[in-house]
Amino acid sequence: MAEKVDVAVIGAGPAGLAAALAAREQGAERVTIIERSERLGGLLPQCIHNGFGLLYFGEDLTGPEYERVFIQRARKAKVEARLESMVLDISPKLEMTAASSRHGYMKIKAGAVVLAMGCREKARGALGIPGGRPSGILTAGTCQRYVNMEGFIPGRRFVILGSGDIGMIMARRLTLEGAKVEAVVEIMPWPGGLIRNEVQCLHDFGIPLLLEHTVTFIHGESRIQGVTVCRVDEKRRPVPGTERYMPCDCLLLSAGLIPENELSVKAGVELDPVTGGPLVDEKRQTVVPGIFAGGNVVQVHDLVDWVSWEAEIAGKSAAVFADRDGISFHDAVRVVAGKNVKYVVPQYISGKEDVTLHLRVTRPGLKAALKLGGAARKRYRSVRPSEMIVEKVDAGKLSQAIRDGELRVDCGMGGEA
Amino acid sequence: MSYDETEVLIVGAGVLGAATARELSKYQVDVTLVEKNVDVGWGITKANVGVVNQGKDTLEFRPEYHRSRLLWRSLTMMEPLCRELDVPFRKVGGWEMCWDMEMKGKLDKLSRRTESLGLGKDRFYWYPELKEMEPNVSDKILGGLHDPDIAVVNPVHLTQALVENAAENGVRLVLGSEVLDIKPGHHYFEVKTAGGDFRARYVINAAGEWVDKVAAMVGADDFVIFPIKGYVGVLDRRCEGLVNGLVSVLPEEPGDMNIVVPTVEGNLLFGIQLQINRRGDHSTTGDMARKALENARRLVPDISENDVINAFCGFLMLRNYEIGWHECEVGMSGRVPRFINMTIGYPGVSASPGAAAEVAEVLQKDGLKLAPDPKFNPHRKGIPDFSRLTEREKRELVKKDPRYGHVVCRCETVTEGEIVEAIRRGATTLDGVKHRVRAGMGRCQGGFCGPRVTRILARELGVPETEVTKKGEDSTQLYCRVKEMLEEGRKDG
Repeated sequence: MAEKVDVAVIGAGPAGLAAALAAREQGAERVTIIERSERLGGLLPQCIHNGFGLLYFGEDLTGPEYERVFIQRARKAKVEARLESMVLDISPKLEMTAASSRHGYMKIKAGAVVLAMGCREKARGALGIPGGRPSGILTAGTCQRYVNMEGFIPGRRFVILGSGDIGMIMARRLTLEGAKVEAVVEIMPWPGGLIRNEVQCLHDFGIPLLLEHTVTFIHGESRIQGVTVCRVDEKRRPVPGTERYMPCDCLLLSAGLIPENELSVKAGVELDPVTGGPLVDEKRQTVVPGIFAGGNVVQVHDLVDWVSWEAEIAGKSAAVFADRDGISFHDAVRVVAGKNVKYVVPQYISGKEDVTLHLRVTRPGLKAALKLGGAARKRYRSVRPSEMIVEKVDAGKLSQAIRDGELRVDCGMGGEA
Repeated sequence: MSYDETEVLIVGAGVLGAATARELSKYQVDVTLVEKNVDVGWGITKANVGVVNQGKDTLEFRPEYHRSRLLWRSLTMMEPLCRELDVPFRKVGGWEMCWDMEMKGKLDKLSRRTESLGLGKDRFYWYPELKEMEPNVSDKILGGLHDPDIAVVNPVHLTQALVENAAENGVRLVLGSEVLDIKPGHHYFEVKTAGGDFRARYVINAAGEWVDKVAAMVGADDFVIFPIKGYVGVLDRRCEGLVNGLVSVLPEEPGDMNIVVPTVEGNLLFGIQLQINRRGDHSTTGDMARKALENARRLVPDISENDVINAFCGFLMLRNYEIGWHECEVGMSGRVPRFINMTIGYPGVSASPGAAAEVAEVLQKDGLKLAPDPKFNPHRKGIPDFSRLTEREKRELVKKDPRYGHVVCRCETVTEGEIVEAIRRGATTLDGVKHRVRAGMGRCQGGFCGPRVTRILARELGVPETEVTKKGEDSTQLYCRVKEMLEEGRKDG
């Protein structure tokens, strides 16, 4: 016998909390968050740095502060939470099974589901770095958890591969703890994270950022002894003769995030190969009726504010779905990532409502122009792949830009029209 | 100097040493198993694709080879052994495929030879039929021989089970005891190890990657070993079903192995890029990785670079490789009495039950009294695999022990209950937990569960978290507590 809830939210990070709150505000009676860890907040508690909530609250908060506001609101709104509970399966009929040390083995039937599982970091295997298999190789996020939550420092001499935001933030954090960060090594000609992190975490602490470099070999079998760092050419291939040995006792990986969608796929949700997240419409519904998604499970956001915002759409839509027994997937218009655009979310829209587009460019450039359906929409002094472009478009403008059931989004660079 | 006395000392708790220990535990004989690592099955056993070979490649397994006979003897032993020890054994079937008519000619010849040796007949399928069974192999494949009996096991799990069962039946296991020196005497050997000294009437040398070095300690090294390094890539569990069984192509050039094979757990492995290499160097190289992936994609085009979650290198210890064929060395040394060498090379895991049985016979023939132990219990129960239980079993297990409801490793759905049980059975490191219950083996490679498993290990072993290691020795995970480094700096400065 399955327990019945109106909206089930999977994951209690910033996305899950915002989605659950929005679902309650929309009028859903029973909203339950299912969270595998022992507390609410997802990764926010380990993000003790500031920079959260500038857009959402107009205030510069730390991760735990940002989290606290949402948790308090969720409690007040009587959002239910099942902690230490992991969803093992979702069926296309919105039936879930979950295992929990607190609640036993559960079966839950939901009126609508919001996927809010967030994302995970790329591990060494996925990066395919040759060499030995010693200890002392961990992702920047795992290191962040060790340092900020568990109270341990994993090493004293670090090399960081990849200049993602968590990597750069950990470079500063570890330096403040007395460790030495030899370098942040980035394979691309531009950093993977935000400019503000590059400046505040690396430049301000004199930590070298080696662009167009990569780690080509890991030395050591028991504990890591060092890495070989090498320059790469335009095709990202190591340039022979540029190798140099960098001793270290820890290698942190901050080379990309992958939306966590193994559960979604089991339910029949289709993924966008570029974002790694589900294909969604403007209501954040996936192709499986009643399954919605928001936050980093859909696309890796640069700011938590956007995560909350996107999850709110998903939560609100889920409540409407549960209440009215269904809203259809809006696939009238396909949003197409055009020139210099890596992806656009949502991938489908109705074309009849206002919509906010989230997109990333493929490469950095100056004097950029965002174009919808070929017509210039907005100009930017500069754009970077690491910084998301968010553009609200009203229904009227949208209808002008849609041609043959397609909304084409381009980003012209260098002043080209 | 004080010695621990034992009748038989086995060096090395890889699959061969473990199988022999378990075989001898059936008898009333005092056996000690010493292992240099802090856990069992971590040498060449670990770096293995886990295919249970059926010995039908009769060009590789000629009847005059000792290792062929050991393998053929093992064929009927492996499955019942796995059943007794509760080790998953999956008959997945296997293919030897070809690209063109010339290669097909070789397959036909092979097939005739195998049949004439009485090893059964494998059926040849042309591509359209083959496609029904393996829909994802390249359409450039002409056809292939199918052997429905090819199976897969997890060699490390098999080794752990063998050791657990041997220990249950009285074999003493001493970990962290690298053999440093062996002195032969008239009646016994004096064996000095990092974990204590032993006096043993018989020494069985199953030292895997270092088998010839251990043999050399007593001058029983009348064989030459060529270590061949092999690269194997691991694919995400989401690729499960891309191939249903072992898919391989006849090598176009010697040493160019190309296989894709499912593991018992549902990942796919691909490889094997071979290369003569210095021993002890287990590092992977970019070239090997590229070539292996290229080969695998030629065979199964849907395999993507993004699905590779891990890679490892292992060693094949091939004896007499230089003359174009290789042979095992299993039996009494011709030079040193009561010293038995055990090294198979290929296929070590598949031939291990037969080799262990043969070694017991060799001992008996030499005069060691092997009286059956009436108390011998052949059964061992595995650690419950929560993710593979039925719904009802899951419900009951969680009710009985709520720790089975606490999923610690989310990629592989491993619960705290399983991790604690792994530690109870001898895991003392992160790799020890990983190789028993798979925590940390999935796509995030321990990113999420690493800190949690570290904490459970520290708690269960009663040590600080800074002392928990990945795989023993100095492979610690954590350097110090927060602020300690700053205090250190203040004192120094």
